[in-house]
Amino acid sequence: MKVVIIGASFAGVAAALEVRKLHKDADIILLEKQATLGYIPNGLHLYWDNKINALDDARFITKEQLDRHEIQYYLSATVEKINTTQKIITYDYLEKEELIAYDKLIIAAGSRQLSEKIDGSEHERVLKYKRYDEAQAALAKVQESRHITIIGGGQVGVEAADLLIRQQKQVTLIESMDYVLFKYLDEDMIQPIEQKMTDNGIDLKLRQTVSSIEAEADHKISVHLGEESVASDAVIMGVNVRPNLHFLDEQIDLHMDQTIAVDRYLRTSAEDVFAVGDCIQLSGPGEEMVYIPLINNAVRTGIVAAANLIKPAVPFNGSSRTIGTHVFGYYIASTGLTEGESLFTNRTVKTCRQEVRLTSLPQSDTMTLKWVYDASTHELLGAQLLSTSNILEKINTLALAIQTKQTLEDLKQADYFFHPLYTQMVSATNLVSWMAERADEDES
Amino acid sequence: MKVEHFLEKNEVREITIFKQLVLNNGILSYTKMLEHLSISKASLENDLESISSRMTVFDKQIQVLYDGQTIELKMSDEQSLQHIYRLYLNQSVKIEIINYLFKHKEFSITKLTQKLAISESSLFRKIKELNSHLKEFSLKIRNGQLQGEELQIRYFYFQFYYYIEDKTTLITSRSDNQITQAVHSLENFLQVTIVPENRQRLTIWLIISKSRVTNKDKKYKHLRKQMQPYVKDPLYHKVQVMVLRYYSRYSIEVDEEEAMLHFAFLLAFPILTEDDFHEYTLIRDRHAPIASLDTYIVETIIIHFKFRRPPYMLERDMYYHLTHIHTRLYFFHGDIEIYEYEEMIAREKQLVGKSLVPFARTLLTISTDKFMSIEVENNSLLKMELLKYISLLTLISFKMANVIQIGIDLKMDELYKETLSELLILKMRPINGIQVERYQPSKEYDLILTNDKPVEENHYEDARVYILSEILSSFDMASIQRVIQELHT
Repeated sequence: MKVVIIGASFAGVAAALEVRKLHKDADIILLEKQATLGYIPNGLHLYWDNKINALDDARFITKEQLDRHEIQYYLSATVEKINTTQKIITYDYLEKEELIAYDKLIIAAGSRQLSEKIDGSEHERVLKYKRYDEAQAALAKVQESRHITIIGGGQVGVEAADLLIRQQKQVTLIESMDYVLFKYLDEDMIQPIEQKMTDNGIDLKLRQTVSSIEAEADHKISVHLGEESVASDAVIMGVNVRPNLHFLDEQIDLHMDQTIAVDRYLRTSAEDVFAVGDCIQLSGPGEEMVYIPLINNAVRTGIVAAANLIKPAVPFNGSSRTIGTHVFGYYIASTGLTEGESLFTNRTVKTCRQEVRLTSLPQSDTMTLKWVYDASTHELLGAQLLSTSNILEKINTLALAIQTKQTLEDLKQADYFFHPLYTQMVSATNLVSWMAERADEDES
Repeated sequence: MKVEHFLEKNEVREITIFKQLVLNNGILSYTKMLEHLSISKASLENDLESISSRMTVFDKQIQVLYDGQTIELKMSDEQSLQHIYRLYLNQSVKIEIINYLFKHKEFSITKLTQKLAISESSLFRKIKELNSHLKEFSLKIRNGQLQGEELQIRYFYFQFYYYIEDKTTLITSRSDNQITQAVHSLENFLQVTIVPENRQRLTIWLIISKSRVTNKDKKYKHLRKQMQPYVKDPLYHKVQVMVLRYYSRYSIEVDEEEAMLHFAFLLAFPILTEDDFHEYTLIRDRHAPIASLDTYIVETIIIHFKFRRPPYMLERDMYYHLTHIHTRLYFFHGDIEIYEYEEMIAREKQLVGKSLVPFARTLLTISTDKFMSIEVENNSLLKMELLKYISLLTLISFKMANVIQIGIDLKMDELYKETLSELLILKMRPINGIQVERYQPSKEYDLILTNDKPVEENHYEDARVYILSEILSSFDMASIQRVIQELHT
């Protein structure tokens, strides 16, 4: 069996390793557009954070590891078209057009961070750095810039703002919604972070949409927003990512948003063709099909597709959109449905926000926790955490609780360890209102 | 633009034949029909033959019988003129062109000629004809696309699917869970209730929007300009938050203007209930163009009717309807004339008296002047909005009119007196704004109908007296109506 995988980022590599595990004799070929292997998207943030000494250290897989698993790979191999009837892929490699036949194909082509709406976003001072070569270019540009404008207040944008302000850059951040990180946090959770951002001198422009970007004469670059414009030395695109799937043939059905339509087994409408990672929609926190381009989903879909190559065996169980990060001195994490997003579902949700102590010590730090749960069944639907201590691991417990449909009552009985140094009387991820420093029930 | 613009000349004639028959109790002589259509007898025979062959699909449920003298329409109770229109429209090539454009967004001449099984030249001719009517929408079909401002494109498709094309087909083929969920989400985000009759409108709009949203290079120049006073509008903000959140869940880079499109639609069409709309009027900026025109027009109406203030709920109703009218005039160009304009005007004139129509025209002039609208005369949008003003004024005059108390005091033998009084009451029942009964001396009346001149001058106190010449005669009935109208104004 010859398994060809388009894309050697997280989804593709996860799929390749899993295929190898399940099929000892399979020929596995990865076709990767980039010239480098296994670069961690946005590894530049690790470098700016002084966690790695060089961009090259941001790797999640090495050539040796692939060799050891007898996985072939072609770097700088750009897929031009696929023919799913004849099962042939055409790709450019070393400036030559090559053909490769497959028995099974996994499309893991990933996504790009770019805007088709914003005029001028192709300019060289408009930085995107998801990939290695982009990151190298961005690194140099940022070094020589004093004032940087970030478009988009999502995870990438807010992390970048934090890292740049720490490098004494002047930062303007533009977000079209009312507040930053709106996909993960509700507005009532974001206040401390936005406060910290403004305290740190970030020029936060909310409810503003960029119409165009224009290079000015004096090496400045202007970002136009309605009536206003911001002139800075460089622009970082922190907008939503989207797949780039120009090579598909007509046998493969797409959704309205140009992602590939797949069934629960991640099979596309073309036989023996699977799609994973940032190329597809997933069943999201509201149980509707949505687009959640996260690496955790990429890896999990890669594994599931591999398991279904021969026959449909393992359905993909969806995504709770679990995230965790550290920005402006706060550890923040989120999983499942937010209150804001719950308006898209048929469920009536209730929420509760509480501040709890993390340990039994007198100087214990606290964590703000927001619960989103079904008003009638009390099933946990979402949780958001915020603390100056590292509480990120706790979100996984709650993500698991959501995935296994636990109720608040179930969670009360969850068996968590006690140690005065690390816990208080009851575990922090346990909605017992009598241990909260402050609790705001909400009847929405 | 009119419904008949989607049909060929002979088809329009055939439909007119049906309409004339319906208007004339289902039977008409050849002479009258020829006079109305101004065609030759041979052409009429042709049309009738064509009608007969088309009607076979109805399996004798609808038949047109003709014998060279009279033409007669036979129609079962389950069928109506609407079904006949539908039949003609279903065969329209122009409708198919619009449908194809909506579905494919772009066409090549070769593909379309194959699909419609017509020649290139007749396709070009039909596109040219369509374009002449699309002009008032500021749209045109060019290079295989419907071109123009995005708001106008969606507005046109909406009017087209709501009034021209069979809307149930569109809804059944295109409405899915996603659309149902979107309607529900809109209710959640705006904290409103969408009632069933409005839900259908919203569903069609969302189907159109869903199919358009990923189109590239959409134009919004007019919309952006008109939206300037509304960027801080509370309803717009809610729509904006919903749109941004909604599309953040897909791999779609949504235009800022997407929310503007929905905002204009929500205010121009009855989507919100009057209650929900009222909540919005309490928080909207009263100085913004639509709201301030609403107020100006309400005041003009109040002055015209020499009213004391209208009842609270009626005033709210006025604002509700006026905002729809004014939003249309503010944001949109063109319309589809769903009612026969001239007929409606004539009918309204009969119903409400002549004075309301010129006043409605004055209101329309005020509105178009305020908005500095550049709409050309004879534009369907202006015609339809005029009809709406007239309807609103009629509604107000009905609701504001005092009920006229009428007493019938016949002087004759008791038996005749009772019978004739009851017959008179029966005959007057259809007249609006009156309360009629047999005269009771203890009560006060505005009008007394009697057959004998009262002896004393103020026998009926302040009531006006009409003396019947011949009870139940048409002369008397007409005179009574005139008196009632005088009393009303």
